[in-house]
Amino acid sequence: MPFPLGAAYALVALGFVLVLNATTAVNFAHGESVVAGGFTAVALTFFLPPDLRIPGLILLPGVVVVTAVLGLAIGALAYLPIRNRPPVSVFVTTIAVGMIVANGLNATFGAAPRTAPPLIGVGTIDLIGVSISRQSLVIIATACVLIGGLAIVLQRTQLGRQFRACSQDPEMARAIGIRLTRITLLSFALGTAFAGAAGLLLAHQFFISPADGAPLILKAYIAVVIGGWGSLRGAALGALLIAVFEVGVAAISSQPLAEGLLYVIVLVVLFLRPQGLLGEPQQVRA
Amino acid sequence: MSQPSLHVESLTVSHGAVTALRDVTFTARSGEITALIGTNGAGKSSLLRAIIGLASSKGDIFFQGDNINHLATEDRIRAGLALVPEGRRVFPGMTVEENLLVGGIRGRAERRLSIDEVYALFPPLADRPSDRAWQLSGGQQQMLAIGRALMARPRIFLLDEPSLGLSPRIARDVAESLKALTEKGAAVVIAEQNSGFVQPIADRTLTLSNGQMALPD
Repeated sequence: MPFPLGAAYALVALGFVLVLNATTAVNFAHGESVVAGGFTAVALTFFLPPDLRIPGLILLPGVVVVTAVLGLAIGALAYLPIRNRPPVSVFVTTIAVGMIVANGLNATFGAAPRTAPPLIGVGTIDLIGVSISRQSLVIIATACVLIGGLAIVLQRTQLGRQFRACSQDPEMARAIGIRLTRITLLSFALGTAFAGAAGLLLAHQFFISPADGAPLILKAYIAVVIGGWGSLRGAALGALLIAVFEVGVAAISSQPLAEGLLYVIVLVVLFLRPQGLLGEPQQVRA
Repeated sequence: MSQPSLHVESLTVSHGAVTALRDVTFTARSGEITALIGTNGAGKSSLLRAIIGLASSKGDIFFQGDNINHLATEDRIRAGLALVPEGRRVFPGMTVEENLLVGGIRGRAERRLSIDEVYALFPPLADRPSDRAWQLSGGQQQMLAIGRALMARPRIFLLDEPSLGLSPRIARDVAESLKALTEKGAAVVIAEQNSGFVQPIADRTLTLSNGQMALPD
């Protein structure tokens, strides 16, 4: 079933776009932030009484807080000091932060894949005659709640309007009184918290290891390219399509073939619709 | 004579090796429109950007008697300054109402009050609150840019080429709305190439030429 994977990918891609829109720079530590979320869940498990069988979903607030703080650190250390330099500088600093996180996790937990506790029990439930695993349902439901919450914040609140204003014209945003540095740091915190939440959702069903960051940032990047650069809805759609494609092709052939064909699809989309599926050419009038 | 609202003293702005503005001094007063006339490249935009804090400068800027050199742009807006930049620079992907709301820097109730006042001043905006800003005509975008600045309830307005690209009728409407602002006690500074736009409404006219004030205040 591709939807749980798609839901987790969507969280990763949305977090990626939040930072991208706030900074116009790619945060290459985003994949490691997903991994950090998974390992935060693994670490927090040590504090749960083993015989109480507490659902792993209870770890979500802790994971979100820890990864939000990680996001603040990435923004403050790897972006703000060099924000006026060419974007390639931010590529290098965020890659460096990603390497530090990955190697730190490797040194602390080891290289082997780890698993977090099940999100809410195990087994399956029957839904309209279809048997679905509890894990899959909870992953989808949690992602929907987080994405819905983000949509409400962005569309209905002053903070959301400030996020969008900064992404469209940062200098003008400052000129109407928006504190750009604060919005930038909040974007890193929120985007990285989304990545961390995805890490928790992935960590039980799909396992997580310190080296998983690179493939995850690539998936987020591809989702954003397919969906439309900078489009939040496009990122979610792109992530879902990637998961459907990966799971579907892997089911009838193999995972390596699915991965390879995914990049062919990216090239086709870029050739036929460079702005992505939901991206729009620049709209300017008068 | 009305109170000095803004006083700029010996302001110099440089962009790398190029000096865009040299030793400029002038005063804008509450309830008055001060026009800064100059050709393209005279330094008008650099002056307004320096006053708002978007361009670094040397010299002193006083707002209602207080030196604001040390304030960041965001804090100058909170203190009571507002800029309507050249080219309007509304947020194209946001609706008219969202563009206005995001300009409000105080609480929700005050934002609601301010938006009603903007709609009263610019009725064409009230007819299209859900339209994206990029869908508006040039004149409506200019109204939106002015309205967005109004949302912060500023005491001094800095406008850069507000008549650019507007039809004579729309330009006249915009000019009347600016005059109405001064009647409420605001100080308005308009940087313009088009002297025909500002002279009928300006209380004082200053000329910038090659980065220097040709007629000192």
